[in-house]
Amino acid sequence: MLIDVHAHWGPWFFSMDVASIDTNIDGLNRFGIDLQLVSAIEAIVYDAPLGNRSLAEQLPADPRLRGMIVVDPRRLDEARTDLDELLAGDGRTRWVGAKIHTEYSRTPMTSPAMQAAIELTTEYGLPTLVHTWGDTVVDLADVAARVPGARVLAGHMGANGWPRVPEAADRCDRVWFEPCWSAPEANRIRWILDRIDPGRMMFGTDATLIDPSVALGALEAADLTPDEHEAVTHRNAIALFGL
Amino acid sequence: MTENPLLLDCDVLVGHDVTTGRWGRPENVAKVFAESGISGGVVSGLRAVHFDVPSGNDEARQVADGNGWSTCPVLDLRDPLGAEKELERQLASDTPPRAIRLAPTAQSVEPAYPAFGHVAQLLVDAGLTIFTEGDVRKVGPALRGLGARVVFLDTHFYYLGDFVLLARSEPGFHTSTRMLTGPDSLEIVAAEVGAERLVLGCRTPFHETRSVIRRLLSSKLSPDEIAQAGSRSLTTLLEPAC
Repeated sequence: MLIDVHAHWGPWFFSMDVASIDTNIDGLNRFGIDLQLVSAIEAIVYDAPLGNRSLAEQLPADPRLRGMIVVDPRRLDEARTDLDELLAGDGRTRWVGAKIHTEYSRTPMTSPAMQAAIELTTEYGLPTLVHTWGDTVVDLADVAARVPGARVLAGHMGANGWPRVPEAADRCDRVWFEPCWSAPEANRIRWILDRIDPGRMMFGTDATLIDPSVALGALEAADLTPDEHEAVTHRNAIALFGL
Repeated sequence: MTENPLLLDCDVLVGHDVTTGRWGRPENVAKVFAESGISGGVVSGLRAVHFDVPSGNDEARQVADGNGWSTCPVLDLRDPLGAEKELERQLASDTPPRAIRLAPTAQSVEPAYPAFGHVAQLLVDAGLTIFTEGDVRKVGPALRGLGARVVFLDTHFYYLGDFVLLARSEPGFHTSTRMLTGPDSLEIVAAEVGAERLVLGCRTPFHETRSVIRRLLSSKLSPDEIAQAGSRSLTTLLEPAC
């Protein structure tokens, strides 16, 4: 089983044509992805409430899709409304987590607004995927440590900050790590799994920004043990997101 | 996925990456090649990029000769006068190179500096292919209008549109596949300017080679286009210019 915990839907402003939900479905089919946790690009880069609602209309397109509610730390009142409305009724069967992007929301990881955003998603019991780059992977662990009950997933596991993942894992036991990256450096996953519990890492692609083959190639290069493979490809995601 | 096309990596580095502290060891390159189905590649020396060009290039040549790979000497853009001498030395050798690698970012040389233009012109005059690191949006314009044969080693798919614009008017412009990692990046380049402009580049052993290979082999390019990008483009670039 393969679960992609870091994916998106919608158009990007680069020279690429990935706007349709069919691009997601094509990736699921071609790469054998059984479940994909998706957030709206519109919500990340422009308007969180509007993007979340756009995604709500797309999720029924395929039973393998689950939603991630984007929270803009600068608009927490509206985020609370999103959480109330989207999670109401049987909403938690479609929406399984939250997503926060530090750079597009222009909100530094160490800022009070970021902590407040994670306090909000924690209040609603949602694991939260947070974009991390460089040293912010450690900063995220510190934020999680300060928010009781917070469960956060470090998207990109810091990208070029990956050598600091073991330090981040030590600082808080409620932070997990997801390694997708458009320019992956060699041997990151193996190096990290030799230093942290395999229960702390899970598979993500950054589709449809990045082709899933890139993350799968990095996973193959890590030469995982059977137990590590099961943990990273699906067991940890099922436990964290209640899938 | 296309099975078993010949794969050659145009972007191999050995030596010390002083920015991260990691090392590219020849035996590690060979191991990654074997695991990834790569038959060979073009190797340059980080000693030449960061410290001493002649000894670094000699080191890379030894590695290449010892493993059946090709070598791509480096010139130091911080020392255009030394670059003239090193190019002379390389061209006078028993097996002169077919390509030269430039590292403007690592050497903190802007493409607008006189040294960059001078060295680029020397390489064009010598009929050599230029393998260049750096942002294609900055390096590309500095190489326009020279009739240069170039492989941009650091083209990220965020800037794919810039590469295509450059390549439309420059038939000698090519791009490494390494960071064309969007779901349709390789396919867009092939459709816009042809698969012969795609050159497999993995930056073994510093970049995740398996990701680059898997992206190419599982792409929506035709088998012939995959074979073109996988090895034929590079082979053509390393042939003497007519």
